[in-house]
Amino acid sequence: MRVSMEWLREYLAIDKSPEELAEILTRGGIEVGGVEELNKGSKDVYIGEIKEIEVHPDAEKLQICRVNIGTEELTIVTGANNILAGDKVPVAVPGAVLSDGKEIKTAELRGVMSYGMLCSDKELGIEAVGQDRSKGGILILSADAQVGTKLNDYLGLDNYVLELELYPNRPDCMSMINVAREVGTLMGIKPIVPEWTQADIPPWPEDIRQKVEIENYDLSWRYSALLVEDVVIQNSPLWMQNRLRAAGIRPINNIVDITNYCMLETGQPLHAFDRDKLQGTVKVRLAKNGEKLISLDRIERNLDNEMLVIADDNGPVAIAGVMGGLETEVTAKTTRIFFESAHFSGASIRRTSRRLGLRSESSSRFEKGVDPHGTVTTLQRVAELLLELKAGVPMSFTEKIAYLPPQAKIELSLDRVDDVLGTKYSEQEVVQVLEALTFGYEFRQNRTIAVDIPSYRQDLKIEEDMIEEIARIIGYDRIPTTLPQGSQTQGRRTLEQALRFKLRKALTKAGMDEIVSYSFTKKESDDIWGQAGRNIPLLNPLREELGVMRTSLLPGLLEIAARNTSRRNMDLLLFEIGNVFWPKELPLKTLPEEKLKIAGLAQGGSSRHWLVPQAKFDFFYVKGILSNLAQESGVEFEYSRIKESRYQELLHPGRSAEIFVNGEYLGFMGEIYPQLDEEWGLDRPVLFEIDFAVLFKNNKSTIIVQSYPRFPAIQRDLALVIPEEIPAQNIKNRVFELGGELLKEVEIFDVYQGQPVPQGHKSLALTMRYQSAERTLKDEEINSLNSNILMQIQQEFGAKWRK
Amino acid sequence: MKAKIQRIREEALKELETLKSMEELQDLKIRIMGKKGSLTSLLKQMGSLSPEERPQMGQTINAVRGMIEEVWEEKAKKLDKDALVKRLEEERIDISLPGFYLPIGHQHPLSKVIEEIEDIFLGMGFTIAEGPEIETDYYNFEALNLPKDHPARDMQDTFFITEDLLLRTQTSPVQIRTMEKMRPQLPVKIIAPGKVFRNDDDATHSPMFHQVEGLMVDNGVRMSDLKGILLHFSRQMFGESREIRLRPSFFPFTEPSAEVDVSCMLCGGAGCRLCKGTGWIEILGSGMVHPRVLKMGGYDPKEVTGFAFGMGVERIAMLKYGIEDMRLLFDNDVRFLAQF
Repeated sequence: MRVSMEWLREYLAIDKSPEELAEILTRGGIEVGGVEELNKGSKDVYIGEIKEIEVHPDAEKLQICRVNIGTEELTIVTGANNILAGDKVPVAVPGAVLSDGKEIKTAELRGVMSYGMLCSDKELGIEAVGQDRSKGGILILSADAQVGTKLNDYLGLDNYVLELELYPNRPDCMSMINVAREVGTLMGIKPIVPEWTQADIPPWPEDIRQKVEIENYDLSWRYSALLVEDVVIQNSPLWMQNRLRAAGIRPINNIVDITNYCMLETGQPLHAFDRDKLQGTVKVRLAKNGEKLISLDRIERNLDNEMLVIADDNGPVAIAGVMGGLETEVTAKTTRIFFESAHFSGASIRRTSRRLGLRSESSSRFEKGVDPHGTVTTLQRVAELLLELKAGVPMSFTEKIAYLPPQAKIELSLDRVDDVLGTKYSEQEVVQVLEALTFGYEFRQNRTIAVDIPSYRQDLKIEEDMIEEIARIIGYDRIPTTLPQGSQTQGRRTLEQALRFKLRKALTKAGMDEIVSYSFTKKESDDIWGQAGRNIPLLNPLREELGVMRTSLLPGLLEIAARNTSRRNMDLLLFEIGNVFWPKELPLKTLPEEKLKIAGLAQGGSSRHWLVPQAKFDFFYVKGILSNLAQESGVEFEYSRIKESRYQELLHPGRSAEIFVNGEYLGFMGEIYPQLDEEWGLDRPVLFEIDFAVLFKNNKSTIIVQSYPRFPAIQRDLALVIPEEIPAQNIKNRVFELGGELLKEVEIFDVYQGQPVPQGHKSLALTMRYQSAERTLKDEEINSLNSNILMQIQQEFGAKWRK
Repeated sequence: MKAKIQRIREEALKELETLKSMEELQDLKIRIMGKKGSLTSLLKQMGSLSPEERPQMGQTINAVRGMIEEVWEEKAKKLDKDALVKRLEEERIDISLPGFYLPIGHQHPLSKVIEEIEDIFLGMGFTIAEGPEIETDYYNFEALNLPKDHPARDMQDTFFITEDLLLRTQTSPVQIRTMEKMRPQLPVKIIAPGKVFRNDDDATHSPMFHQVEGLMVDNGVRMSDLKGILLHFSRQMFGESREIRLRPSFFPFTEPSAEVDVSCMLCGGAGCRLCKGTGWIEILGSGMVHPRVLKMGGYDPKEVTGFAFGMGVERIAMLKYGIEDMRLLFDNDVRFLAQF
């Protein structure tokens, strides 16, 4: 809502600047988004009188004028030729900035100094009505204009607009009168609220053909109408045009302008029909499926049986509360008018307006709720303005009332006010607020007040609404600052949250950067990496590439990695912890399963260092990071080659693995399939994705300390040459088994292929730690144990001992 | 014999003066005092002396031996010290070379801010609740006092999956889910961080963003308590000297409702570019839980009251880290991430 300060002053004497008023309103809960100064282009322009005109001696197209602007007489050179000596004209003096941003300066024109500029209305950026000769040249004001006064003062253009950003609970402030009431309440001034009763209009004649009927009482509680004859269509007066423009509405003609003006003033939307184009009974009803109407914006609208319309005997003539029809529009030829002032259900108007994709000043008011008590007063205001503007003669009036809400009352307990707010207001303070609001009230027992709620304040329904009203008008600053008094509680992360917290830290400690990507993604990529065909589509995605809910985190990671790579950020260690969405059925009927996943991507290598060789971010680097996660969770991960055929086309079959924890499938990891990386512009990234819930289910958070043995350990190394297809893990596991209870630890410390190891073989170096809790071990027993292991391994795996 | 002793003494002292290595030093000791050393042999020759001369000569030899040993020891210490000094000199390194370390990664600024908010509220006895990103119309709107066709639904541009299922537009549905789970226990004291979605995309809006919801329900919870909790939070988050102010506002699920401003962390309230000259920065929305919402959650609004608040994590991250374009947060450029 754009509130003109000039208009507001009609109801209230405001001694504050627009900025100060904006602050008062904002602190009072009516947020002011901005203050706009209007007509800046005509701000430093004065009314001058042309004393004499002579032709420029060196340029016949230029004229030199002597202009009196009250304080002094200026010489001004102009190219205009519509002026005469004695004309009153707008004079922009040096320093003035016109609407196009041009600053007026003293200038020399063909040897003559010019000290200002005579202006046209276009140059001033205003629409003003001057004498007929003004057309296409300097604006020539009427002869009674006072020399030396500012043009904006004279034309009533000196004005500021407050842009109210209204919350949906205060539609009442879409009316100038109610804004004045609000300002009055917050500033402690009583506004002069106009009352229009003088237009005492006779009722609808008995024999009239136009009857008014409401068919759907639930959607329209009241329909009031005014008939006007002897209509003269012309421009509305400048003051009305200025106020409409300030409010952001384009003036059209006196009748349309009156409907808009009254709507802005009272908040009640109106519509004017050309009465001679209405046939028979005017009815508020639901449209029939298939009915059509061309609305005022010349678009044919398809109506359906949930849309409320105004119809005559021939069919719909207006979309109720949204927009009129072109057929019954008021035109220059109109002589008789049917003014409509009605109530329509907000929900219904909102639905219709959404369905048609059509919003208007009218619909935006109706959908938030219009006071049904205001229909008649507003028509009286219309009648008054019609007479004042000599735009037509109000003839008769009728209305249908289906329902009018009764006077609302709220029982306000002063104790409850303090209990909710933590305040200690005095009775007098609360009463002062009610007075400032101009609400009626009555004291009841037990410090309770019955408050009368005026019909324009539909937002006040329950006691808490009234408590807010008291609090905001006294000022939220008066609410003290306290701490809750109830029982103490322990704030702590749940075990699940704590593990998630720990894993996030473990990943960053391992050098990975956390990313956050959208929960929705491109269907094609998600089909490839996630659950093909199981991703949930959005009805109204922002873009098609964000069309489905992700079933895997990998497409997001790949996309972000690709973006980084294209910016020459080649070395990447990225991870994300986020939900994926697995529906139980499609199309979706119930909430899907939201699974928390941890996924990562590694590419490139560590930054080069003078001391140590560069580490490549490869399969084993990522596997190492995963063991950090396993450690943090108190479990061990088991790896095996990927069996699922789908991944065999996504991941390098020789460099990928399924991950298990306690035999349960946790996820997978691996290098991307050759050439797939090139499609993304990536260079052999390694990916992983694991399921948090599975990890949580298996995690061991309890720590029980084991005592460490007092007797020394014996260490033995073993180097073996084995066929390359045998997994090192198998050898390691078997060695561990064979070592019995004295063998505490086996580690692989070297793997080698190439000379002198024969083709198809690899050399594996193991280190074994033997220890007993009860005694010091003897070299001989370990030697024999060791050779036994060696023998077994040689037999079972075809391994050879490398001395 | 005396002359021999004197010669040995003088030669030994001279040699001790000039020799340079531990080996030479050891060698000297053997040559003079070893089993076959020159001084040792003199001692062995004492048998040829008269019994009168013997004790005197023995004394002389021992005195010389003692003296040489003393000087020898001194020399040995000196050589040790020289060797250490030399070693220290040789082992000198260029300490300006970079150390070796495994670079640590970086938490995303949004998860960092969420964690910080969590920690502040955990410290005040709140626990962390969570809810689904895909919600029903009921939890996201209806139960929060936003019936169908309510104009306040226009405040949020919703992503729909079906007519009834949608991406939550706010973390507020967690209020209802928590109350349903906890009723009739008191107090309810939770915060709920999470992702939310609105159909909007520009420099100040992202189609997905994060909120942290707060809810406290108990006997006798007052709006002044809300103010106290939020003041404490603001000071923990933005600095001890911060002040807050409440402005009347509107949310369908709170009554009274308040917008909360914190005094500008850049200028301290004097007015600057960040706070657009007002000295205040809007950080969250809040209010007393609407009686209808309490009822929907299974609590009797005549018995209990509550407060709720909701803040935008992106906005707080932007304020905290001086980020001017929200899109940077979702761009995930590692050069950006590496700064956190």
